[in-house]
Amino acid sequence: MSVLSSKARASALPDSDRLFGVFTVGATGLLLVTFVLVPLWAILKNSFVTPEGIGLDNFVRYFTDARFVTVVGNTFEVGISVTLTTLVLAYGFAYAVQRTCMPFKGVLRIIALLPVFSPSLVQALGLQFLLGRNGFVNRTFGTEIDIYGFWGIFISDTVYAFPHAFLILSTALAVADARLYESAESLGAGPWRIFRTVTLPGTRYGIASAAFVVFTIVITDFGNPVVIGGNYSVLAVEIYNQVSGQANFAMGAVIGVLLLLPAALAVTGEKWIARRQFASLTSQSVPLVPRPNPARDAAWFAYSVLVALAILSLVAIVIYASFVRLWPYNLSLSLRHYQFDVQNGIQPLWTSISVAILTALLAIVFVTGAAYANHAFPMRANRILYFLAILPAAVPGMVLGLGYILAFNTPGQPVYWIYDTILIIAVCNVYHYHAQGFLLATTNIKQISSTFDEASATLGATKLRTVWRVTLPMIWPTVLAVGVFFFMRAMVTLSAVIFLITPSTQLAAVSVLYLDDRGALNQAAAFAVCIMATVVAFLVLTQLALRLAGIRGVNLVR
Amino acid sequence: MDMTSVQRPALNCITRLVTGVFVGAALLLAVPGISQAGKITVYTSYEEDELAAFLEAMSKDLPDVEVDVLRLSTGDLRARMLAEADNPKHDVIWGWAATSMVDPRILEMLEPYSPADIDKVPARFRDKDGYWFATTGYMGAFCVNNEEMSKDNLAIPSSWQDLIKPEYKGKLVMPNPASSGTGYLHVASILQMMGEEDGWAYLDELDKNMDQYIKSGSKPCNAASAGENAIGISFALRAIKNIDEGYPITMVIPSEGAGHELEANALMKTSQNKEDAKKFLDWSVSKGAEAEYNKWKSIVTMQGRDMPEKFKNAGLPDDISTVLFEVDYAWAAENRDRIITEWQKRYEK
Repeated sequence: MSVLSSKARASALPDSDRLFGVFTVGATGLLLVTFVLVPLWAILKNSFVTPEGIGLDNFVRYFTDARFVTVVGNTFEVGISVTLTTLVLAYGFAYAVQRTCMPFKGVLRIIALLPVFSPSLVQALGLQFLLGRNGFVNRTFGTEIDIYGFWGIFISDTVYAFPHAFLILSTALAVADARLYESAESLGAGPWRIFRTVTLPGTRYGIASAAFVVFTIVITDFGNPVVIGGNYSVLAVEIYNQVSGQANFAMGAVIGVLLLLPAALAVTGEKWIARRQFASLTSQSVPLVPRPNPARDAAWFAYSVLVALAILSLVAIVIYASFVRLWPYNLSLSLRHYQFDVQNGIQPLWTSISVAILTALLAIVFVTGAAYANHAFPMRANRILYFLAILPAAVPGMVLGLGYILAFNTPGQPVYWIYDTILIIAVCNVYHYHAQGFLLATTNIKQISSTFDEASATLGATKLRTVWRVTLPMIWPTVLAVGVFFFMRAMVTLSAVIFLITPSTQLAAVSVLYLDDRGALNQAAAFAVCIMATVVAFLVLTQLALRLAGIRGVNLVR
Repeated sequence: MDMTSVQRPALNCITRLVTGVFVGAALLLAVPGISQAGKITVYTSYEEDELAAFLEAMSKDLPDVEVDVLRLSTGDLRARMLAEADNPKHDVIWGWAATSMVDPRILEMLEPYSPADIDKVPARFRDKDGYWFATTGYMGAFCVNNEEMSKDNLAIPSSWQDLIKPEYKGKLVMPNPASSGTGYLHVASILQMMGEEDGWAYLDELDKNMDQYIKSGSKPCNAASAGENAIGISFALRAIKNIDEGYPITMVIPSEGAGHELEANALMKTSQNKEDAKKFLDWSVSKGAEAEYNKWKSIVTMQGRDMPEKFKNAGLPDDISTVLFEVDYAWAAENRDRIITEWQKRYEK
């Protein structure tokens, strides 16, 4: 829509709507500034601090370092190759789930999501168990596969990013107007042509969002490269070396600033793509219901099973390792690794569940609120709002966590009262994964035509009433899905929260990290299995609650 | 337009939801560990399992002091303490790398304190101005996977010089000194032991045999234990624990001497409960603490210890001072940036 018409629309809003709009946009903006911009600035300003005063010396020092070119090159090599691979694989999988009548969709969907049920280092651990020098494959077949380096990062990050891409693409593919497909067919278009001219353009926004999310996840991920990256250096690990290895916040901040650049690029890209996005669901549309087609369904089923098996093998081997006496030397089964000898035993798991529930509730209100505010009220401020909303994707967890300390650990500061509580951990989770949740919600909201809004307005309803009576009833499954997504992230996230936990707020994912760190690989696997089991149980219980409330056919993870 | 009737239900629900969230939050909140009488917060890098044992002994000896402990790895803990410097949350630092403790930004936050029994700790394990003292430490060692060695018919190396033999090409893994304190400990002690020129020449040779520089200090030993690499340059405690766990590895203390790191304790200037913090530090050099240290640590600085059986089984001599190389911590700390930059220039691709 053109700038002119959006302005015209904004000024045409009745007063109460304007007020509601300004309030929603304002509140969202204030929260984003407080919990994203302020902490980021608190840490990134260190990049300008040099022994000689304020200046750009740190940047000059880094850019003139010969290693810089290699490390940035490596980071982009991994980022781009993983993004392309993941997009293709996940689009196919999402297409199979949403647009075909293949069997076992529910199970396949859960398998596709398994990698988000466990801390990212578990993928790498699984890959090491499976394809390491002394892993299952090499030991069984006598091969000499060497996974460390580029390929290790490539495979583990693809698995790690797959569910994130799948979630967004599956949301994008979930809604479609059957009339478009019918007319295309009646005009004699073949399946490939329909895919190119109807399906792909209809999901353009989803594809762009997924590409952005995957790319930023990969370049900011630190868990996988550390375990399986060998000597292949990437920027996220460089930050860790600088900050944790050498206590050099200034150089860590320089790299943090570099990682923000892709986010800035993505915002420009979004503007371009959003202009070409049309709403696939209008008030006249007929929902597309896939019709059975045995040959096609069988082909997609085969593809999905293949992908699911690949993911499952990484998870299954971790589960298996948690039940053997001593991987890989003594494979007799044992439950001894489930007697955790960490400081608080299994207690951190309960804290994690509290944090995860709190994170999900906050995200439902604030993240979907942000998506709605950004969509429903075309204002000039929205470009900034959008940027702030997706900026966190580009921020490595370590940078955000330290930023939270620097920004909020000051008595008298307005939000100091949440410091040292699980609330700050939950808030940090909400804003750490804000971009993913925001894009998940936006992808769905964008597909709902504004004609609903307009019709509602014509009938005299205010925006608020439209939200309540029209928008929410249409998007509540997405709102719920956002909550579920944040629950899952909060259960497994590590890098940011490690700086915010206190003696009384220890988390399960941190226990996995320590167990892995001290070489108790089987125990680390066992703790990770407990986390996965918790997430699966949570999904099953929620689904059950929905059934009891008489609601069927809602995909919690979408 | 009837605005009130339109907005109220929606607003009510939203208000209810938001209130619900915050009430829920308040219910879920654990009371933060802000210093209260009888309660202190301790930051440590002792590993979880030894920590649990130490704390159990401590709660018997000091029943009236409640100790909240946060455990992070050495580097993460330093980053956190530096970030929290404006408003530190802890009263005591316990069992934390001395080479990090001497960072001027950390020293600035400390208050000198010497427990009554401090004389049990020889002067070389204490700060001369009393800012910190070390009761325990860990020493460098190689973890060698027996299975991998016999597979390729290789002898188990016994010294730093052995490691640069051509038959070990591609078999070695060591921590990256840029990210790991243990890694730096090894590099610094080699440079001190051999002198800088010969030291760098040696590291060049070592690099030829290196499969990878891994990020943390315990990982090389774990990689060797799992058979992912044949020889991991790591530290003794990790080797001892992994042998105990059942992994087929041999611990090797290099015959030229092993570099080591001290784990130091200190009092925070900002502590709100110095009385209990001091009680805790007094306990950290007590007989009770020493007995627990002896069960777990390869280096206990207090004199006259009994070496536990599992340490002897792993190959540690009764008197470890015979195998320790005396590291100059001050030199190691002062030259850190220079050495790491040089190291990265040479070996990081």
